[in-house]
Amino acid sequence: MSDTLFTNVRILDGSGTLPYSGSVLVQGNRIRQVGRSTAPISPAGATVIDGAGATLMPGMCEAHTHFSWNDAATLAGIQTMPLEEHVLWCAKVAKKYLETGFTSCLGAACAKPRLDVVTRNAINSGQIPGPRYLAASQEITVPGGLGDETLPHLPFPEFSFGVNVNGAEDMRKVVRMFLKYGVDSIKLNLSGDNFVPGANSHTTWMTDAEVAAAAEEVRMRNKRIIVHARSAASVKQALRHGIRLIYHASFTDTETLDMLEAARDEVFVAPGIAILYALLNEAEPFGVTRETAISWGYQEEWDAALESLSKMHKRGIRILPGGDYGFAFNPHYQNARDLEFFVKYLGFTPMEAIRSTTLYGGQIMMQPHELGVIKEGFLADLLLVDGDPLANLSILRDPKRLLAVMKDGRFAKAPEIASQRAWGRAA
Amino acid sequence: MSDVLFTNVRIFDGGGEAPVTGDVLVQGNRISRVVKTGYGQRSQPVLGATTIDGAGAFLMPGMVEAHTHFSWNDQPSLDAIQRMPPEEHILWCAEVAKRYLDMGWTSCVGAATAKPRLDVVIRNAINDGTIVGPRYLAASQEITVPGGLGDTTAPHLPQPEFAFGAIVSGAEEMRRCVRMFAKYGVDTLKINLSGESITGMPSEMSQFTPEEIAVCVQEAKAWGKRVAAHARSTWSVKECVRQGIEVIYHASFCDEEALDLLEAHKFEHFVAPGLAWLINTCHNASQWGLTREVTQKMGYHRELEAAIESMKGLRKRGVRILPGGDYGFAWTPHGSNAKDLEYFVKYIGMSPMEALLSATAWGGPMMKMGKQLGYIREGCLADILLIDGDPLADITILQDKSRILAVMKDGEFHRAPPVGAARPVRTGAPATVTRWAA
Repeated sequence: MSDTLFTNVRILDGSGTLPYSGSVLVQGNRIRQVGRSTAPISPAGATVIDGAGATLMPGMCEAHTHFSWNDAATLAGIQTMPLEEHVLWCAKVAKKYLETGFTSCLGAACAKPRLDVVTRNAINSGQIPGPRYLAASQEITVPGGLGDETLPHLPFPEFSFGVNVNGAEDMRKVVRMFLKYGVDSIKLNLSGDNFVPGANSHTTWMTDAEVAAAAEEVRMRNKRIIVHARSAASVKQALRHGIRLIYHASFTDTETLDMLEAARDEVFVAPGIAILYALLNEAEPFGVTRETAISWGYQEEWDAALESLSKMHKRGIRILPGGDYGFAFNPHYQNARDLEFFVKYLGFTPMEAIRSTTLYGGQIMMQPHELGVIKEGFLADLLLVDGDPLANLSILRDPKRLLAVMKDGRFAKAPEIASQRAWGRAA
Repeated sequence: MSDVLFTNVRIFDGGGEAPVTGDVLVQGNRISRVVKTGYGQRSQPVLGATTIDGAGAFLMPGMVEAHTHFSWNDQPSLDAIQRMPPEEHILWCAEVAKRYLDMGWTSCVGAATAKPRLDVVIRNAINDGTIVGPRYLAASQEITVPGGLGDTTAPHLPQPEFAFGAIVSGAEEMRRCVRMFAKYGVDTLKINLSGESITGMPSEMSQFTPEEIAVCVQEAKAWGKRVAAHARSTWSVKECVRQGIEVIYHASFCDEEALDLLEAHKFEHFVAPGLAWLINTCHNASQWGLTREVTQKMGYHRELEAAIESMKGLRKRGVRILPGGDYGFAWTPHGSNAKDLEYFVKYIGMSPMEALLSATAWGGPMMKMGKQLGYIREGCLADILLIDGDPLADITILQDKSRILAVMKDGEFHRAPPVGAARPVRTGAPATVTRWAA
């Protein structure tokens, strides 16, 4: 692995401080030196990349990733993909996430038991390219809840998107199975979702005994629980059981917000509001008109979510981008859109939006001391961006503006060099 | 995809003539122009085409591997291959597919897969661009009989999931099995007609009744599929000819009658002996417990001698012998497949030219693509290798990745030749000019 020196770049270090001009030297897989202004750093054999004023920022983190969602319109459409195709799909998506600037992703559930684990292992062994990844279990749910896709005449577990449990002992068994498979996170569906008949976003159906059994098992093996929690009751249930990673949190009351604030040094919220937006505004080609989405309750949830999340942001609760990309109406690879939504709808400054995917990203990946910021000694996950993301966040989802992506000191997307440009076209 | 003009290359066109110096123009996915020039003669650039100055490198058709097992995972036993979980297994196949293309095999004929759908899924993923790999014909699992080659179940673990092959007994079970694989979308049904000494069932022994084989062939034909057979024993080779099984793998023990039968039907069959397996099991596998003593006892040294004699006989009679076979074991790792060409020269007396043709000219029909493939001729598909050196002088250079300067499949570079990055690019020139070597 050759070392790399980025010169003449505008460094947006990801910690929240204003960008400055300088140079960054990468040695091995770490950032060795960060130089301010034009003070030269000796390349000492490193490949020099003259950034010509481009922005150098930390790689982004996606906090709620589903590699195995296959851009189908329904859960059943995801679930019916055969296993072999599904693995290759995950590999393809993982590569593309990295190329679109997400150098870290936190798995938020997979569609078949081992998909996430296998993908993570293949990335780590170098077999396939992909971001740093924390592997999740399938969604653990209850019969009739979100994720139970079995039909009355086809009750076989293979037909289910998630894993159905009944009772604490059932839960324990399922959690142990996933821990045996090697997941980093156990995903529980504590609330419903508006597209599920009979289990909308206000419903909360897992018993405390079931959640406690899962929490106990996970604690024993030093892993993490992550939850789908749209209703206020489900958010509170999660917090009561010491769960620190909450997806959605659309509906909150004052008590919920107080509980969240009390735990704000530990709690992460990844709302995934893009899917709410997409269902309301962009799902018509896939059979979900605005009227349908409203009748399901998505307008009500959208309004509630904006209010809840804005309040959380004001109270200093960490809100992270990512969520539920991988549906037909909310396809993969446009994940950076979340940052724009944070600014537009939740009252973030662009700098806060950047920080939510860099500084907070390192924290949610459980590597706060070495990931998510451009700082000497940190891991070299870097993006070279043509333009200023603080002035226009949307450039982060334009592949042409993403000049280079580096993960762990290696280019996943190398900056084009003059003589190679012709090859790009030839190959 | 832009067009590519190779200039100043030694063109081996796959027809059997000595190479000539010239230019090859690729437009889209086809070879659109092949012209003779003098060495070093400057060619007119073609508008819109990237010019590659080959500086005398050897340009030949992409090679065809006639007996490929992507899902064999470089392990020392069938059991170790079979025990890989399906998720890991499909990723392995994807990785290996790329490796074949890297090594210049632009087409591969699947010769059996370790789990029912692996080959089909890989072929589809290559064709739709999800992964990179050679042109591929997908095979079924090995169809075998209880206790035969490929039955890796144990008496106390009789579940079919423990079996490496698909186990059938009786004509109707065979029919059901063939239909299942046809439904899955295979191109080829693989049937094990003889034993394999390493499994305890000697290679001279045969399995299946003629009736079962007939059902397999009949059903395969009904679905438009091809049958390929693992046939080491004398009887099994003859049965392939009698029953019209197009692809014959191994054919180690051919007697005079078998040779005559094959000669009489030589344009209806392909033979891929897979000598690498015999040679390396005999000589290069002691680190896995297969010492000379062990393999002698198994009978592999005798089989190797018989196979060499059989192939010499088939070669004399003009039967098509193709490279490939049983790479993917610990002592025959994937990617070293071009050793087969060396073995053809060394053991069965082919000239380097014949060995090269076995991987190119016969590859087209083996891939069911006739003469569109395997030639550097106008109108043919642009599967092209650029080689540093002359394989006709030294056939072993094809085993060396660093000598394979470029691999093009279907008009697109899988591996583009290295560019002299320091060379200034003249602006205003009609096309970019690059060189592959300093």
